[in-house]
Amino acid sequence: MRVLWNELKKILTWKMLFLLVLLNSVLYFFLIEFDIEHFPNGRPALDSYNIGIEMIEKYGTHMDEEEFLDFKQAYDEQVKEADQYLQSRREFVEAGLVTYEKFKHFDRDNEELNALHSKVMFEEKEVNTFWELQERERLIEFYDMKDELRGYDNAQQKQRMEELIASKKYGVYPEVVIMNFRDFIGNVTIAILFSVVLVISPMILKDRSRQMLALQYTSKKGRNLFKTKILAGLISTFSVITALLIVYFGVYSLNDTSMYFDVPINTFIGNASWYDPTFFQYILLCVAAIYLIGFVFGLLAMSFSSFVPNSMALIGIQIPFIVGMIIVIGGPLMRYIISIWNPQWLAPTVYSGMIVISVIFIILLWRREKNRDIVL
Amino acid sequence: MAMRIVWHECQKAFKSPILIGLLLLFTAFNVFVIVDNSYFKEELKIANQLVEKYGRKITDESLLQFEKDLQDDLTALKEITGQEYQSVYDFLETLTFEDQNRYSEQEWRFIEQLQLKEMYFSMANDIDASYAKIDIQKVAEGTIAQSRLSGNAEKTLLREYEKFSQRFEEMKQNGEHKEWFFAGKAYFMHSFLFKTVFLHIVIESLMLIILSTALITNYEFENRTQLVTYGTTRGRRLMKDKLGASVAMAALLTTFILVATLSTYFIVYDYSNVWGTSINSAFNWEYNFPNIAWWNLSIGQFLSGTIAIVFITMLLYSGLTFTLTTFVKNSYIAAILMATFFVLALLIPGFMPTSSNLLFITSYSLSLLVLNTASSFMGSSGLIMFKNFEWMTTVCWTMITFVLCIFSLKWFHKKDIQ
Repeated sequence: MRVLWNELKKILTWKMLFLLVLLNSVLYFFLIEFDIEHFPNGRPALDSYNIGIEMIEKYGTHMDEEEFLDFKQAYDEQVKEADQYLQSRREFVEAGLVTYEKFKHFDRDNEELNALHSKVMFEEKEVNTFWELQERERLIEFYDMKDELRGYDNAQQKQRMEELIASKKYGVYPEVVIMNFRDFIGNVTIAILFSVVLVISPMILKDRSRQMLALQYTSKKGRNLFKTKILAGLISTFSVITALLIVYFGVYSLNDTSMYFDVPINTFIGNASWYDPTFFQYILLCVAAIYLIGFVFGLLAMSFSSFVPNSMALIGIQIPFIVGMIIVIGGPLMRYIISIWNPQWLAPTVYSGMIVISVIFIILLWRREKNRDIVL
Repeated sequence: MAMRIVWHECQKAFKSPILIGLLLLFTAFNVFVIVDNSYFKEELKIANQLVEKYGRKITDESLLQFEKDLQDDLTALKEITGQEYQSVYDFLETLTFEDQNRYSEQEWRFIEQLQLKEMYFSMANDIDASYAKIDIQKVAEGTIAQSRLSGNAEKTLLREYEKFSQRFEEMKQNGEHKEWFFAGKAYFMHSFLFKTVFLHIVIESLMLIILSTALITNYEFENRTQLVTYGTTRGRRLMKDKLGASVAMAALLTTFILVATLSTYFIVYDYSNVWGTSINSAFNWEYNFPNIAWWNLSIGQFLSGTIAIVFITMLLYSGLTFTLTTFVKNSYIAAILMATFFVLALLIPGFMPTSSNLLFITSYSLSLLVLNTASSFMGSSGLIMFKNFEWMTTVCWTMITFVLCIFSLKWFHKKDIQ
């Protein structure tokens, strides 16, 4: 135990923790801040977000025909409200825009009308009606199309879409929240990936380049120390990931999306997926995936650390792996992890493949370590 | 003697298989990126043909000639199709699926060529009208509103835009925008070369340079040979050789990537007749605003300028990495810190108050310079549109790097090397 503790202290030094904080602050401002600061990002994203909350509060996480009629009624009432608003303003009456219908289909070539339109849409920020109407129209449109098969590439996708329609899991809830979460989680994964690699990489190489092995491997514990080092590496990986996840999800809570937690993933617009978790379960799934990626890259870093000649090679050899990983994090391995647009088997296969490879790698290195000549 | 030491120091880097492996991998990746995007490379030949036939400059006479030739082509089209069309687009609109097999491959090629020529012709005709619509004052206001500038920053930017508006008039007078080039809105060749391809070149060279510099600089400490090497006659002056070797390696690595990537690029894409075209050409207009440089640069000059910027910047980064590694004494941490600083330099202007000139001063950084090669020398590049941006950044950072290197060399003389 004491050896393990000391190995841990060798990995998580103050210097390293400082570097970790520095790296993560830079990555936070470079990658993640945007998804927090600018959420919802402008109009009509804001209205979309608000209407979504209204829908969940009023109708729950599933909307049946009756509730939809109610939603439509709310729209009609808001149209009336808009009509009244337009009639109450002189410049709109003079321009002939007395109903919402006319306002919507105004003559875009007419500069005067254009100016009026953009005035009420962009400059008068306190007028929400028109943005909300626009968003409601979009949602109604999606609800009306709920039974239609939208595009698909292969038979499995078609089958899954039909299944979803049969079980009434229509994509009708506004998708701003889930899209924002996707961007957020992808970037968090990248930050965590860098952090794990940063912390874990130098550990085994450091002992070797300081020629500590001759001392360590002739002690009572002997070559088993290698296993302790691996264990210490895994514990550090776990601590780093957990600490960063706590911080980043703490920041994420500023986005205030908890009302959406019970909405099934498939009922967000354009989010057909192979499985049917709620938004909250989906978040948990992503967190699990982050741990997997973290452990795989932690193990890989330890493996590389056990045989590269110097720290330049240590960084260099990991660059292609990290770049490759970042590319797939943006796609099937994280952002679109259970999306119907990737084959169902892809993510599970790649994840298990990565785990198997990294474990085999470390076992081979342990075998090598047992027989290695440490004098050289 | 000193030369031989530098040579041996260099060998420490390029005898490392990882570095060579990465270099080859990066080059292969660049070649892939270029070839992968080349599905339209045959269409680019049209612009070259236009230059050959009508001269580089677009004049009223040459346009008239072009129109006449187009009429001849339309007559030829009539012979093929048996019907008369005002434009090849009219023909394509009426085309049905069954009709497609009626024409031979050669005829199709003719039709496609004609279509492209008509596109270039109509773009050339629209130049004056679309440039007349540009109001630099409005652009300035837009930039200021978008970045929420106020106070001194606003004043500074407005002053620069005033200069730019003069330059814009001068450019129009010179007719720099009336030269043939690949249609920007169709192919985005400027962005592809100077944004995508150069971004790859820059990031890749930077990674290799940071690694090789950190390796060379810290080699003795990492291999526990410092007591031997720094105890020789050459002694601590060896650091000078290490600096020389680092910079030489940086030059070598950058040259390799530049030559390999750009030669692939120009083999794949035919630029033969458009080297002399001005970078300000209206055809080089890709997004909302045309590319307008502060000087009348040809494509060739612009490319050489960009290469010079990238090259110098890479050498400076090598020097900066050298300094950092000397102080940090740990090549792993030094390399990570260097990469972090590179990104940090991009973020710093964002933290500055939008009312102060600090906003502009902090954007004179090497990272911004080298990542914005598509808009270097340009006045149309938003907050870094300043005329002196390129040379001021280079000169200032060269001085900073020199001072830092000298300082770190001096510092090393008294350092404990145990």
